[in-house]
Amino acid sequence: MVAIRETVQTVGEVEKYKYGFSTDIESDKAPLGLTEDTVRFISAKKNEPEWMLEWRLEAYRRWLTMEEPTWAKVEYPKIDFQDAYYYAAPKQTVAPKSLDEIDPKLLETYKKLGIPLIEQQMLAGIAVDAVFDSVSVVTTFKEKLKEVGVIFCPLSEAVRDHPDLVRKYLGSVVPTSDNFYATLNAAVFSEGSFVYIPEGVRCPMELSTYFRINERQTGQFERTLIIADKGSYVSYLEGCTAPQRDENQLHAAVVELVAHDDAEIKYSTVQNWYPGDEDGKGGIYNFVTKRGDCRGVNSKISWTQVETGSAITWKYPSCILRGDNSRGEFYSIAISNGHQQVDSGTKMIHLGKNTSSRIISKGISAGKSSNTYRGLVGVHRKAENVRNFTQCDSLLIGSHCSAHTVPYIESKNPGAILEHEATTSKISDEQLFYCRQRGMDEEEAVALIVNGFCRDVLQQLPMEFAVEAQKLVGISLEGSVG
Amino acid sequence: MTGAAKTLVENFERERKTLPGASGWLDVSRAKALAAFAEAGLPHRRVEEWKYTDLRRLLDDVSLTTAPDHLGPVDLPATAFEAMDCYKLVLVNGRFRADLSSLAKLPKGVELHPLANVLSEQWAKKLIDRQSDHDGATRIIDLNTALMRDGMALRIRKGVRLDKPLHLVFLAADDGGAHARHLVELEEGASATIFQSHLAAGASSYFVDQVSDIHLGADARLEMVRLVDEGAKSFHLSSLRAELEAGADFGCFTLTMGGQMQRQQSFVRFNGEGAVARVNGASALRGRQMADTFCHTDHAVPACASDTLYRTVLDGSATGTFQGKVVVQPDAQKTDGRQMTNALLLSREASMNAKPELEIYADDVQCAHGSTIGELNKDAIFYLRARGLNERDARRLLVTAFLDEALDRIAHDGARDALRAVVANWFSAEGAAT
Amino acid sequence: MLEVKNLHVTVGDKEILRGIDLKIDAGEVHAIMGPNGSGKSTLSYILSGRDGYEVTEGSITFKGQDLLAMSIDERANAGVFLAFQYPIEIPGVTTMNFLKTALNAQRKARGEEELDAVRFLKLVRSKAKPLNISDDMLKRALNVGFSGGEKKRAETLQMSLLEPQLAILDETDSGLDIDALKVVADGVNALRSPERSMIVITHYQRLLDYIVPDVVHVLSGGRIVKTGGKELAQELEQTGYAEFGADAA
Repeated sequence: MVAIRETVQTVGEVEKYKYGFSTDIESDKAPLGLTEDTVRFISAKKNEPEWMLEWRLEAYRRWLTMEEPTWAKVEYPKIDFQDAYYYAAPKQTVAPKSLDEIDPKLLETYKKLGIPLIEQQMLAGIAVDAVFDSVSVVTTFKEKLKEVGVIFCPLSEAVRDHPDLVRKYLGSVVPTSDNFYATLNAAVFSEGSFVYIPEGVRCPMELSTYFRINERQTGQFERTLIIADKGSYVSYLEGCTAPQRDENQLHAAVVELVAHDDAEIKYSTVQNWYPGDEDGKGGIYNFVTKRGDCRGVNSKISWTQVETGSAITWKYPSCILRGDNSRGEFYSIAISNGHQQVDSGTKMIHLGKNTSSRIISKGISAGKSSNTYRGLVGVHRKAENVRNFTQCDSLLIGSHCSAHTVPYIESKNPGAILEHEATTSKISDEQLFYCRQRGMDEEEAVALIVNGFCRDVLQQLPMEFAVEAQKLVGISLEGSVG
Repeated sequence: MTGAAKTLVENFERERKTLPGASGWLDVSRAKALAAFAEAGLPHRRVEEWKYTDLRRLLDDVSLTTAPDHLGPVDLPATAFEAMDCYKLVLVNGRFRADLSSLAKLPKGVELHPLANVLSEQWAKKLIDRQSDHDGATRIIDLNTALMRDGMALRIRKGVRLDKPLHLVFLAADDGGAHARHLVELEEGASATIFQSHLAAGASSYFVDQVSDIHLGADARLEMVRLVDEGAKSFHLSSLRAELEAGADFGCFTLTMGGQMQRQQSFVRFNGEGAVARVNGASALRGRQMADTFCHTDHAVPACASDTLYRTVLDGSATGTFQGKVVVQPDAQKTDGRQMTNALLLSREASMNAKPELEIYADDVQCAHGSTIGELNKDAIFYLRARGLNERDARRLLVTAFLDEALDRIAHDGARDALRAVVANWFSAEGAAT
Repeated sequence: MLEVKNLHVTVGDKEILRGIDLKIDAGEVHAIMGPNGSGKSTLSYILSGRDGYEVTEGSITFKGQDLLAMSIDERANAGVFLAFQYPIEIPGVTTMNFLKTALNAQRKARGEEELDAVRFLKLVRSKAKPLNISDDMLKRALNVGFSGGEKKRAETLQMSLLEPQLAILDETDSGLDIDALKVVADGVNALRSPERSMIVITHYQRLLDYIVPDVVHVLSGGRIVKTGGKELAQELEQTGYAEFGADAA
């Protein structure tokens, strides 16, 4: 019995982070550290216009005056922002015009990650933008999308090709002054995806960006901007992985969503950055600012996230419900194991009339991890007839982990009906026994029960992602029992 | 330092020599506490626990210079608990008034004194010197430690039951600050019921700063029912720290009605298994009233139960805040922790903030919290009006029912009825205040 | 098939089973009857490997293997099935998903290939139909909000699907009216075969009118105090357990 358990554990260790390999590829890096020159270097590498450089420099100068936030329930040694690289790109003499010109090593990397970039091999109906360290490697299905007027390209390309759209929207949801990490991102962001869905268009396929950190000692600062014009619809998926390294790497992304009248954006994330080893060594520091602006009437933004990776997660995908009748949703599964620390949640800011929001958060802590839900539901004086329902459930596996719930509920309008529920539970011995009596081993049984616990959220994911996410739930919890 | 904090520090410097216990250990504790207070200053919005109640700003509006000893006659207002047969201890401006109190024939084993009389005793020192976790919320107790002048000290010996309720009446007769400290030590198996009334009796602009330090021995039982009905220009600050040994049972209900601004904090800590804490309350506020309730429960040991229900009704441009936190320490398995807060907003200008937190470090526990904020159910009002009630009576009926569900948690029948009557009166005053 | 020798089991400090001997051959159905607290459920749990029960003496051999050395799921995969008296609710996990996970876990353990969704669905439907289990019920979370009858039918469906070698039915009749009992009993009887053995644990004789045993044992005070044919059950119906001195542990 013991022998079997050991075998299971060994297999678990090997399988635990299967994206932990690194790709040996020559890269082009900015000099170590962060100065105004670094910002200029990045801007120059991207051939950016002057206004973009100015925008970055303004953010950089502001960042110098800001302090790192300390209110989250996470602990980590002070980050030396001068001991990191802010730009790394696979070296390639000329920009690739087609897939044939891309370094085969890169294609191989994405294949290993399960993201084939050769269009014929792809799952039908998903267009992918693949970002490797600081640059976009390839964006698939661009032409096909162009036919219906959808723009889907790396942000750096959009700065050059669609400057009016970028200038109009960049920083309009997350201003450069928003918070320490968002401001840092504004100064040094190097890549990300840009999406524009024109009026009345229902995007014919899922759009997806796949982020990969490869270089050692390198931060990743991508910035994503999605605009859904009147009456349009888009579903966007984001995936992330990184190699297994002893050091901690910084990831400080910004995502801005804008939904105009009657538009809908569905944004799904499966975040699986390297979480560090079982002693808590290494792993990604994930400090992300994600915010959607329901600018138009009847608009809708829905965030779904499956957070299984990163040593530290600091992330609050939010909705500003500005347009009347707009709706915000947040569905989250956050799993922490080993020494991971998660502090995540959402903000729903109700400004418009008849706005509604729904928050379903499922936190699962195992090992020695700490898992916090932190959320705000705010109703402004003039927001009539607001509805919110929030449910935060925590599941603890083992007695060395912790789960916290920190909701802020603020109402200034009597017509608002806000409901918040939270529970904390564990997997009962009876449930485990029942499943094992039917032949499942302990880890299989835990995975099954946890998937059941998360079902309300898993159902929100696009089909292709849901299957992947379910497996991830199982893998993330390996070694958490027995 | 802001003006308010400065006034408070000056109070100390002026009064230090005349404060009780000036020659003993307490003087050292006072000086230490004042230094800590002077360094931290008054808590403000950027201190997480005071996010919704900025003392730095709010205390500027009330008179803080220590109120004088009031030795003359006082117009004793009728109190809600009057009809019941109680021992009575009266503090005016935070000072004990033997002539107004009735403490005759206490049972053997019950020691009841003004604070100054027990300061040389070890049990008092132990309670006062108790260290709280120095988080943002408990730090303000330093102010009280430095300036406390009087209060109630109750000790009940092992197994003794206080035969009738003790009514602690706290009257504000003159403007200014009053800093009182109450000590309650119930030894193993002892039991008591304490009522508290906080009322204005002549003062208009004043600051009440009260700390209650409570220790319940194994299987001891304490039932507290508090009515906070201060004057219109007051700030009421109270902190209650209770530690419970195995099997102890602590109930505390607070009804908040009057007063301009109040901040009421409770910190319950379980030291022994099988103890139970029921910390409940209700507030009914209107005009520009503010009430901030901070309710912290620390499950430091296994197998204890805590249950909290707070209900708030807000009319006019009143603001209500409930901040709750249930902490389950590592190994505090089999904890049962519940916390629920509900608020009704009756007017367009009222606001409510809620922050019900859970912090859990053990897996075999049952913890749940909930929070709702909303208005009166329109369908219910319609239904009642269709049965012939006018709008005002319909609303009144529904609001009373809403508050009654919280009041139902008062274990003492007489006290429950008394507070029900107070709530009913709140509606009679409705026209006058709005 | 199953051989229990001089089995002593304690829970905490208390000895519940005090020397059980039991031998069941392939194809046999044994009923174990006894008053409340006689140790019936303990026997079912010790056979399936639940934690908290300590064997202080004796042995259990299943198909020549030492059953006590196997983990819960190893026993299940070897063909030991326990139909629970109180089936556990598992929120969020649909009955369908649960059945598939369990079946494939067992197939994998036996070195068989896992069933794909289509073949699995077909198989489940064919087994569910005779038990009056609708697709709708299969889509609901396992046992969550199921009536007493639905729970027992779901247990029977699992047994039918997993095709165990030794099925232990723990108080399967509890909470069932006569019609529900018949449906369940029909399901169980359909599973009787020369390769499959069953242990039917029950307090009342009623169930044994429908699932007729080959052998009846009376368990009292942690020991088997009498063994006989199916007529023993009828006898008990008349006399009750009094003569065995319900010195229930």
